[in-house]
Amino acid sequence: MFGFLLIWQAATTFGPLVGGSLPTALQAVLSLGDILAEPDTWEAIGKTVYMALTGLFISICLAIPVGVLIGLSSAAFKSSKLVFDFFKVIPPIVIIPIVILVLGPTAEMGIFLVVFATFFMLAAQAAYGVRDTDPVLLDTMKCYGLGKFAQIIYARIPGALPFIAIGIRISVAASMIVAVVAGLIGGAPSLGREMLLYQSSGQPSKTFATVLVFGLLGLAFARSWAFLQRKLIFWTAA
Amino acid sequence: MILKRLSSILLAIWLPICLVVAWWFGSADSTDPFFPPLSVIWETFLALWVFELVPVHVVPSLTNLFTGLSVGVVIGLSLGVFIGTNERVAKYVEPTIDFIRSIPGVATIPIFILLFGLDPIMRISAISFASIFPTMLAAIQGMHQTNATIIDTARVFRLSKADTIFRVRIPAAGPIIASGIQVSLQVAFVVTIASELLGSGFGLGAFTLIATDSFMITDAWTGVILMGILGFSINFFFDLVERRILRWYLISKKIA
Repeated sequence: MFGFLLIWQAATTFGPLVGGSLPTALQAVLSLGDILAEPDTWEAIGKTVYMALTGLFISICLAIPVGVLIGLSSAAFKSSKLVFDFFKVIPPIVIIPIVILVLGPTAEMGIFLVVFATFFMLAAQAAYGVRDTDPVLLDTMKCYGLGKFAQIIYARIPGALPFIAIGIRISVAASMIVAVVAGLIGGAPSLGREMLLYQSSGQPSKTFATVLVFGLLGLAFARSWAFLQRKLIFWTAA
Repeated sequence: MILKRLSSILLAIWLPICLVVAWWFGSADSTDPFFPPLSVIWETFLALWVFELVPVHVVPSLTNLFTGLSVGVVIGLSLGVFIGTNERVAKYVEPTIDFIRSIPGVATIPIFILLFGLDPIMRISAISFASIFPTMLAAIQGMHQTNATIIDTARVFRLSKADTIFRVRIPAAGPIIASGIQVSLQVAFVVTIASELLGSGFGLGAFTLIATDSFMITDAWTGVILMGILGFSINFFFDLVERRILRWYLISKKIA
């Protein structure tokens, strides 16, 4: 990591990039200190995290029940597969222009985008998980005279959890990215918008420092989920 | 047999068809300026995109996308194989990679704008930068996961180090690398559109942005729909190509 910073510093002070618009490593790190000292930055970080987490929460609450229900019925799974496949691969950035028109550059717009970005993938994961339940386990439960409902609660949903966990891990990363993009392109109040302001007002080192904040934020999101996952679904090794 | 196939196809397509029909009739008398009737969107779509504006807005987007993607994938693959086969290097660079890949690709666009201005070079370099990481990480993972028996077998046959890497380890990592490249493709698509939304005279993203800014909502809808179709189709074609290239793997899995 230090080596990387040194190469960066060397390249921008005596190397090929000298005099370019790329700030030196030292400048960027100093600016990082600068923008972290501004209360505005923290407010923007807070709003970014708020959009990401609210969207994620709504999406999880909606997608997992829907996914589980779809997964329980083979006909429902096959019928909805194309729709889910279609929306799963469409990046949320595509609908940003329309969403801005309807909702305006607000936090709600960002939240909507986060939900759109994560819902289909999460629901599909939940459906796959439910369908993947060990049939021997289900037969065993049937032998003991346990009803359909008990099978769902004690076998199918716990069996689907590893799948859902993968879905959530991807969604956690996606939610942060989408919250940033919603600010950067959609103008929603967040760190993305701050960054665009720094860039358009010609403050390269602050622009760069914001990118570093994004990196830290992304790491923080990924690490927190890894931690939570170990606590919540401790029985799967992954 | 035929009947069974037919019913499974019907089962797969009835819902999408119903949704489109519902949108068509549900929006038929719409006076809401934000949600024009689908019939109007359809007519505009035909007028604009078959094939009047395709050379102006679609071809440059796709050219940038694939140029950037190829550069990114080549860099990502070479770096990934290098890092993945050198334990010591991996230990040194992994924290840095972990950090850089946590940065959303789209968020690096302003940096590239600072460096190159609103130039195609800016777009292509932003696209390649963002598409390096998924491929690189997949290649590193693929190298780490090579079956030990395969490597030992290669050693027994006295394959040279280069041969082991190029003819044994890289093909063995094919499926993982392919899924990495697919993620790179998706990221590249997003960055392409985003770079156009952040300022450009041409490209699908720019077209849609200009349409919304000048309140031509129907035009904007056609742009959004076309971007959706493009995003879906490049994924679809990737799946086709992947299945063709990795046929040996799919067959070997079936046998096992």
